[in-house]
Amino acid sequence: MKKQMLRAGWFWGVRILAVLALLGTARGARAQFGNILKKATEKAQTVQKAMAPMTVQEERDVGREVAAKAVAFFHLYKDDALTRYVNLVGHTVAAQSERQDITYHFAVLDSDNINAFSAPGGYVFITRAALALCEDESELAGVLAHEVGHIAGKHVLKIVERDKALRTGMGEAKAYTPGSAYVQKMSKGILVKIIDQGLAPGDEFDADQRGIKYAHAAGYPADGLARFLTKLDQATEQGGQSFWTRTHPPVADRNARVGQTISAQHWEDTDRPKLADRFAIETKALKEKKA
Amino acid sequence: MKFASRILTLAFPCVLLGTLATPPLPAQDTSQPNQTQQDQSQQGQEKADKDKKKKKGGGFFGGLKAISGSSSEQQEATRTAGSKTVGEGAQIGDAQPTAADRQAVSAMESYSVAAPEIKKFQDDGKLKPKQ
Repeated sequence: MKKQMLRAGWFWGVRILAVLALLGTARGARAQFGNILKKATEKAQTVQKAMAPMTVQEERDVGREVAAKAVAFFHLYKDDALTRYVNLVGHTVAAQSERQDITYHFAVLDSDNINAFSAPGGYVFITRAALALCEDESELAGVLAHEVGHIAGKHVLKIVERDKALRTGMGEAKAYTPGSAYVQKMSKGILVKIIDQGLAPGDEFDADQRGIKYAHAAGYPADGLARFLTKLDQATEQGGQSFWTRTHPPVADRNARVGQTISAQHWEDTDRPKLADRFAIETKALKEKKA
Repeated sequence: MKFASRILTLAFPCVLLGTLATPPLPAQDTSQPNQTQQDQSQQGQEKADKDKKKKKGGGFFGGLKAISGSSSEQQEATRTAGSKTVGEGAQIGDAQPTAADRQAVSAMESYSVAAPEIKKFQDDGKLKPKQ
């Protein structure tokens, strides 16, 4: 009897020990499982953040860096009256843009290259040479409206967002603060993209379509951009420098599409003001300086 | 005795499942070595990703490398526009803005034209913008 009780005691002792051991293992496994789950959640949150659209503030930070580099390289053209005029024309067309969550800024760059470009965050630049090539205000409005179209269409911003999402794996996107190495690299990338490589032809056509829409809605003739492009084509054939003709789709293609839209929308108003006289007065000093 | 043994056999999986289903414990010492292992494997993974990225050129702006090199895009640009303007975007991108340049950008940002002035400008030009 005593022996039987002793054996039963052993039997129970072993079982209790087994239960305790199992409990311990299960707790350890659960802790490890929890840890893995925590890490996975953190990773998912980082990816989610990277995939999320950029905030207006983030967009402005990158655009500001691009603008600073452009200003450092070309320098602003110092003519307060001309800057004011370009801003008045720019704000007139920008007011017709679908995108009103940002403030648009316009400036003239002191460059002989016939160019205009925009950066995320609402920064629009036109060069002194591009202004000199325009013959009236409606052409200037067309060029500025095209650039506003790039910003409204988020053409560069979408590339930046895709890049940000890709770089998340490297932990680079975490350093997404003004002046950071990542923003520096990104702003250089934007400049290389828009000036050396060019945006996708589809984005250029889209900016053209948006541009003529804004210019027309602002009260200008819709064909201002097309007239400027024709002159630009001639100017570059005669040796003028412009990345527009190098990186953008052929002018003939662009103007054909613009013409189709104008025709389809019945925007061929001939009584709309081109404002050549006002343009001549406002750009007199610039053109005299060039001559 | 047999009955108790059966109860116990049934109880094992129940206890095991119950333990796993309950909320996790606060930080446990047992998890520390696992944490270190995970960190090490994560670091290894990040390094591997970095190497992979380096080989590919990295991101959508991987073209940056091509600017200083001799990519087909650059060769094409050289043919079409002459070497004078090739890589200008990269040159601009390399520009280091001074405090004065940054101040100029700030001035550009704070530059404003009042709504009445824009209205007058449009009226003078006989523009009739959509409201």
